This record gives sequence, structure tokens and C-alpha cells, in this order.
Amino acid sequence: MSAPAVLAAATIPDAVTFALAAVICVVGALGVVLMRNPVHSALALVMTLFGVAVLFVEQDAQFLAAVQVIVYTGAIVVLFLFVIMLLGVDRRERVLADTFRGQRVVALVLGLMVLAEVVLLARTRWTTGAHSVAGPLDGPGSNVAKLGRSIFTTYLIPFEVTSALLVVAVVGAVVLARRPGLGEPSGEAPDEADGASPVGPGASGPGAEAADAEAADAAGAGTAESTAGAGAAAGAGAAVTR
Amino acid sequence: MIGSAHLAGVVGARLVAASGITIPHIDYTAILPELILLGGMLLLLAAAALSPRPLPTEAYATATVGLATASLVTSLVLWRDVTDRGPLTTVAHSIDVDGFALFFLVTISCILVVAPMLGAGYLRRERISGPEYYVLALISGSGAMFMASANDLVLVFLGLEILSIPLYVLAGLDHRREASGEAAMKYFVLGAFSSAIFVYGIALTYGATGSTNLAEIGAFLARNVVTSDGVLIGGLGLLLVGFAFKVAAVPFHMWTPDVYQGAPTPATGFMAAMAKAGGFAALLRVFVSTFPSLRSSWQPVVFVLAALTLLVGAVVAVVQSDVKRMLSYSSINHAGFVLLGLQAATARGVAGSLYYVFTYGLVVLGSFAVVSLVGGSGEDRHDLARFRGLGRRQPVIATAFAVLLLAQAGAPFTTGFFAKLYVVEAAAAAHSYLLAAIAMGSAAIAAFFYLRVVFLMFSDAGAAAPAGEGATARAVEAARPAGIEPAGAAGGSWVPEPSGAVATMVAPVTRSAAADARSVSSGVVALDVSGEPPVATSPWILAGLGICVAVTVVFGVWPQPLVEFAHQATLLF
Amino acid sequence: MGSLDSYLPILILFVLALAFAGLSIFASKLLAPKRPTSAKEAPYECGIVPTEGPPQRFPVRFYLIAMIFVIFDIEIIFLFPWAVVYNELGRFGLVEIVVFAAAVFFSFLYLLANGALDWGPVKRIRPVTAAAQRTTSSTVRRVGAGSGEAA
Repeated sequence: MSAPAVLAAATIPDAVTFALAAVICVVGALGVVLMRNPVHSALALVMTLFGVAVLFVEQDAQFLAAVQVIVYTGAIVVLFLFVIMLLGVDRRERVLADTFRGQRVVALVLGLMVLAEVVLLARTRWTTGAHSVAGPLDGPGSNVAKLGRSIFTTYLIPFEVTSALLVVAVVGAVVLARRPGLGEPSGEAPDEADGASPVGPGASGPGAEAADAEAADAAGAGTAESTAGAGAAAGAGAAVTR
Repeated sequence: MIGSAHLAGVVGARLVAASGITIPHIDYTAILPELILLGGMLLLLAAAALSPRPLPTEAYATATVGLATASLVTSLVLWRDVTDRGPLTTVAHSIDVDGFALFFLVTISCILVVAPMLGAGYLRRERISGPEYYVLALISGSGAMFMASANDLVLVFLGLEILSIPLYVLAGLDHRREASGEAAMKYFVLGAFSSAIFVYGIALTYGATGSTNLAEIGAFLARNVVTSDGVLIGGLGLLLVGFAFKVAAVPFHMWTPDVYQGAPTPATGFMAAMAKAGGFAALLRVFVSTFPSLRSSWQPVVFVLAALTLLVGAVVAVVQSDVKRMLSYSSINHAGFVLLGLQAATARGVAGSLYYVFTYGLVVLGSFAVVSLVGGSGEDRHDLARFRGLGRRQPVIATAFAVLLLAQAGAPFTTGFFAKLYVVEAAAAAHSYLLAAIAMGSAAIAAFFYLRVVFLMFSDAGAAAPAGEGATARAVEAARPAGIEPAGAAGGSWVPEPSGAVATMVAPVTRSAAADARSVSSGVVALDVSGEPPVATSPWILAGLGICVAVTVVFGVWPQPLVEFAHQATLLF
Repeated sequence: MGSLDSYLPILILFVLALAFAGLSIFASKLLAPKRPTSAKEAPYECGIVPTEGPPQRFPVRFYLIAMIFVIFDIEIIFLFPWAVVYNELGRFGLVEIVVFAAAVFFSFLYLLANGALDWGPVKRIRPVTAAAQRTTSSTVRRVGAGSGEAA
């Protein structure tokens, strides 16, 4: 369906909802980038994700909306906040300095290219395949029920295998959150560590903090990814409705 | 691919009945190898969690070897069933149990049998306790198995993640070395990025074909001619990028040297063997069996990938003085050889690739195990000088390493020879003469650096070695932090402290200096006895190495069964 | 799309929540008396003078708590579609979800064994000794009644 057709089909409340949700999304996204305090950035991210959830509801993708709220605005942002807290809120990063020379110019050019590509794709009629596996969107039954059937029939194995992914996430977090030399996850606050642990190089003072930070970083990112993988499995059927 | 149209019909009919649910039939025996690994992994976790005091690492190793052996036996039994009754799909056609999958199941099980044997001693030496190494290895193996037998792109993706995320963690298993953490971080960030690209590829492919099921995609493409195939080609390209990253093909290899060098050495070997097995399994199945109609589009791309991978891997490996880093570049070179079979896209080519992946897995595991032994406690040194004279100090280890290196170089009477022969032959048969020539050239370059290590191990320490000068400089650097000031450095005759650790530190310095000064060989031998770093072997690692070497030599002399196996695997696609 | 109608109560709830939060803040600004002293603004308003700043970072072990949260969060998200089609799936669905939950539970066990919920007092390797310069007069802050700031 081309863009004008979509607009014609939309009713007034729909259009208003869409506009509001879109504004929420964009304002939140700008907030993520522009806020000085990383905690505020994370909270702005909640706003964006919530706006996306509203958009999902508008598309009749109720399950994805639920995933968006429960997993992303719930768990993922909480993880972000944890990692920010683990690293220290008051750490200043010099974001405006170019790490690589000419980084910004390249980013601008590439961004424009992507934008042009999106416009181009929107104006092209691509051949797409047969009807989606999970059946048409406007068929009988709710979206969530269809998804449930998909998950427990066609995508049963991916669903069960997702549990292995969760186990990896747990084991990975435990391994990476482990204090060097102690063989156990660190229990002490950083200021108690100095002088208290005679083991291993880097187990005391600032070294330990750096290692902690790194571990938190890695663990945080790792979980986010495995969660995303789980989300992909959950959304496999949902993405089908188009 | 035979009968895929029929299969698609069945799937369609089942899904149309949307009101009621058709419960998918699950053939538990068909997925038993995966179930054994995952179930065993959970039991290991529970045992670790519930046991009142920490279990020794050997206990976990024994359990892992047992589980892997069970899965190996099951895979072989399934192989017999499949050759008798033909391939089967199960769980709503998302799992294919065919010859191709079973070949990889056997390969992965073999890797899992050997890996714990080679890792246990290292973990004890480096004081890394707990079940994590084994648990992560088992999960990773099951992920690779799912990739090999997946008949659905969603499952391929999940397999990819379950394969890779444990590998990221394994790279960072050693907290005492910063390089390990750096490797984990690097691998993770780039790996997550490539996974995202891969998912995007799946999305585009789904958009273009209307299904994530590989058989249905194949059937759709066989029935329809896609006229404006931009989305499909785009999706295919992104899938290829995702796979190329996992198997470390140039130009997506940037992470490989740093990650392989930083990771704990047994984990490096496991990573190299497992990521390549899983990655190539899915790569071959998706491209050769699902997208044969688009061959003209992807074959040239794979050609460039393979050529670059072969050349860069070999050329950069030559200039490495660190053996661990050299082996990681050589693993890139090997990926190029496997790509040769994909580029040919014939049954012969795929069979060659299968043979290559199987033999490479065991060879690389053994090679990195030797490096972990010689590298010494804390992985302090992996440079070439460390390997000089190993043949005299540790004849068994050195001989094993020599065999494995010769296999990597492609010497006759090892599996490496036939592996290289089959893929190059397949490339030539598919009229990719240029690529075959490039492969031969890169094999010749690669032979140089493998043989250099072999000669170094068995050469007399008095003989001048090419890396002698550099090694001396490095050894001096290594000695400095320990507070040893070289006395009378110009004369090349420093007096080492006689006591324990210091003597160990100084010994290589003295030896290299002596080599430079071309002192009489008797003096060198005397120093040699006084303080070479000890290479601590254990029955575990000897058994593991023994398996690697035995497979390499036995199937090198008598390759027929394995060749037959690989050939049948491609027939039963 | 009529489905949006059913979200109207949620929308109303949001508006009410926002209004309540805004009103509360506004009302407390308007009504509450504000007479700040340095003792009231101290990080720990209990009279003890802190000798060092509060720790800037949380220990990594908090991360394990976050993991437990995420793991069960994702399990719940899979329970949602299962619950919707529970009647159609019957025993088969129950078995599958139990298998899934069991795997998650094993990882939970592992987390517990690694001390994720072990929040007892931290074992100090270095004994805590009172510093000589910290006496009652130096650590207790007295405010008001003309005594001024003790510290």
C-alpha cells in the first residue's frame, strides 16, 4: 500500500493517536541524545519505547506492544540504569570530540544515503512472496492467539531453544561479573575492596573498579543481546502480520 | 531439496486450519543429540549449584566427555537410520535430520569430546574453577547443532546466537589477564553487530519470499521467477555478511587475531573449531540448498570472499612472530579453503567443505592445546623462540604438534592433504581455475610458516634461527620487569640467578643470547638443563592430543571412510 | 480500527496518573514550609558526620539481581500467548511451557548458588577499628541551641 492510500484509510482518532505517539517517540529519542545526565537519557528512552508500543497497538500488534512495554521499557531500560549506576553516574564523557578523524562528515554522508534509500524503497514496488505463514491479519481470532498458535506449532523449537539463550545470559553474567582473583561474584562495595583482597593483580583499588566497570559493561551488553534474541523468537510470528 | 514442493504443500495445509491447532509431531529420537547436550548442561549447572563444596574441574570434564560421547553415538545411530530410511524432518518441519546435518552433528560431538580433555589441565593451571567452561562449551555445541539441522531461518538465527554468546563469554573467562577481557568485549560488540545484520537479512528474505522455512523458500523460488529481486538479493547479501563474520572470512575477519590471541588458549581452539563448524553448516545449507536459483548472484561474491580470505590469511600469518597469533591468521586462511567448496556449489564442493571442516576442527583443537602447554602459566609467552628445541625437551608434544602443523600445511599422509585436495579439485571441476590457483598459492605460502615452527622445534638450539634477534630483544624486555638487569649484555653472557622463578625468567634470555653468540653447543645444553620453563602435561591433555593426532593420521593414510561419509552426507541433503 | 477504543481506559488512567503526580508536586511546593539548614541537607540526616563521600558506583553484584529480573520477565512474556491459547493446546502446551520454565529455573538455581540473593553482612577481611580522631564530639553534629556546627 502506498503512503496516500494509508492516510486515506485512517480515521481521525487513528491519525491523532499516530501523531501523538510519533511526537512522543521523536522527543524521547532527542532526549536520549541531548540529556546531559545518563540517567535522564535512559528515562527518555522509556518515553521513546512507550511511543513505539502505542504505535504497535495502532497496528493491531498487541503482543508486540506488550513485549515492548514489559521487556523493553521494563527490563532493558532497568538493565541500562543498572549499568549506568555500576559505572558511576557522574562519569563525564567527552562526546563532542571525534574519536576518528572525519567521523562526523562520514556519518552525515552515510545518514543521508540511508535516508535517500528509505525514500527510494518507499516509492518502489517490490515483489514480495506468498501469503505470510501465520495467515492474514484480519482473519478470525486475536493477534495474540494467532501468535500463541504460531509459537506452539511452527516455531515450537525456536521457542524452546530460547530457554537455552536465557541460560547463557545467566551464566555469562555470572562469569563476567566475577571479581578477578576471588572466584566469586564481588560482594563488597568498591571502597571496601582496597587492602581487603590480597589476591591477584588488579584486585585492589582503582584497578578493581576498572575491571568491575568492564565486567558490568560486557555483562550488560550481553544480556541485552540475548534478550533481543529472545524477543526475536517471540516476535517471529508477530512480524508476519503485515 | 528433493520433495520440497510436496513439503511446502503439507505446511501450507496445516497452517490454513487456523481455528484449531495441529499439535506438531515431535520425534524425540531425531533431536536426541541436541537434547542430550542441553539436558546434560542443565544437570551440570544444577550439580554445580547444589553440591556443598566446589567440584574439581576434572569431574566436570568427565561429565562433558560422557555427554559428548553419548551425543556422538546417537548421531551415528541416527546416521544409520537415515541411510536406511531417508532424511526426516520433525517439529513442524523446523528441524531437518538428514545426512548433511548428521555429518555436522558427528563433527560437533567429536569437538566436544576432545575439547574438555584439552581444557581441563589448563583450567587447573590457571586456577579457573567452576563448571562454566564446560557448560558454555555444551551450550555452544548445541547451538552449532541447531544451526546444522535448522530448516528455518529463525532457528538458524537462534542457533547462531546460542553458538556465539557462549564463545564471547569463553573469550573472557580468564579474569587475571586484561587481554582476555578485551577479547571478550571486542568479540561481543562486533558479534552483536553482525548478528543484527544477519537478522535484517532474515527479515528481508522473509519479506521477499513469504516464509522463514528454508524448504518453503526453496519451493517458492523454484515455482516463481522473482523479477525485481532487490529485497531478496539484499537479504541474501546481509545473510552472507553475518555468516562471513562468524567464520572469519576477509574482510569480516578483523576481530579474529585479537580475540584468538586474548582468549584463554583452549577456548581459542574451541572457538575456532566450533564457530567454523556451526557457521559453515548453516552457510552451506542456506546458500547451496535453499538459494541455488540465485547462484549467479552469490557465486561471484563468494569468489571474492574466498580469494581475499585465502590470500590475507596466508600472507599476514607469515610475518607473525607470535605462534598463537600466527595460528589465528592461519585459521582465516583455512576458512578460505572451506569457502572454495561453497563457491563451487556442487555436491563435490560441499563434500570437500564437509571433509575440511571435520578435519580442521580436530587439528586446530590439538594445535592450540599444544600452544597452551608451551605458553606456560599465565600465557606469558607464545613467541617462536619458546618453541625452539621443543623436540628435545618434549619429544612427544613436539611430534604431535609437528603432525598437526603438517596437517594444516596439507602434507601427505595427513587429513589436511586430502582436505585441501578435495576442495581445490572441486573448484577446478566447477571451472573456478583462478580460485583453485589462488588456493594452491596460498597453501604454498602457508606451508612456509607451518614448517618454520616444525624446523624450529627440531632444530638444535645452536643453529641460527631467523627470529633469534627479535626473540632476544623480547626476552630482555620480559626479564626487565622482574628486576633483572642484564650484566655484561654486550658479551652475551649473563649470569642467571640460580633460584626458582627468576631462573625460569632468565633462561630463555640466556639461551637466545648464547644462540646469537654461537657458543659451543655443550654450553647451551648445560644452560638448557638448568632452567627451561617446564611443560606440564597431564594424562587428560595427552589423551586429547592423542585423539587429534590419531584421527589426523589414520584418516590421512586411509581417508576412504570419511570421504564416503562426507559424500553420502551431500547425497542425503 | 476499532481496537483502539478498548485502550481508552488505559489512556484515562495515564492522564489521571500524570495529573496526580503533577498536582502532588505542585501542592507540596505550595504548602510545605521550607527552612533549610546545613544539617538537613547533609546526605545522611542522622547526626553522624560522614568521613568520606558516598560510593560513586554500585557493586557489580547488583547486576545478578537485574539478571534474575530479566530472566523471569522474558519467561512471563512467553507465558502471555500461551495463556491465551491454553485451552486449545491442552496438556501439550503445559508440557512445553514447563520444559521452558524448568530450564529457566535451573539457571535461577545457579544464580542462587553464586550468591545472587546473599545479602548478609559482608565479611570483612580487615578488622574494623575505631580511628583515634573520631570521638563523640567530632562525629556527632549538634544543631541549634547556640552550639553551632561541631564539625
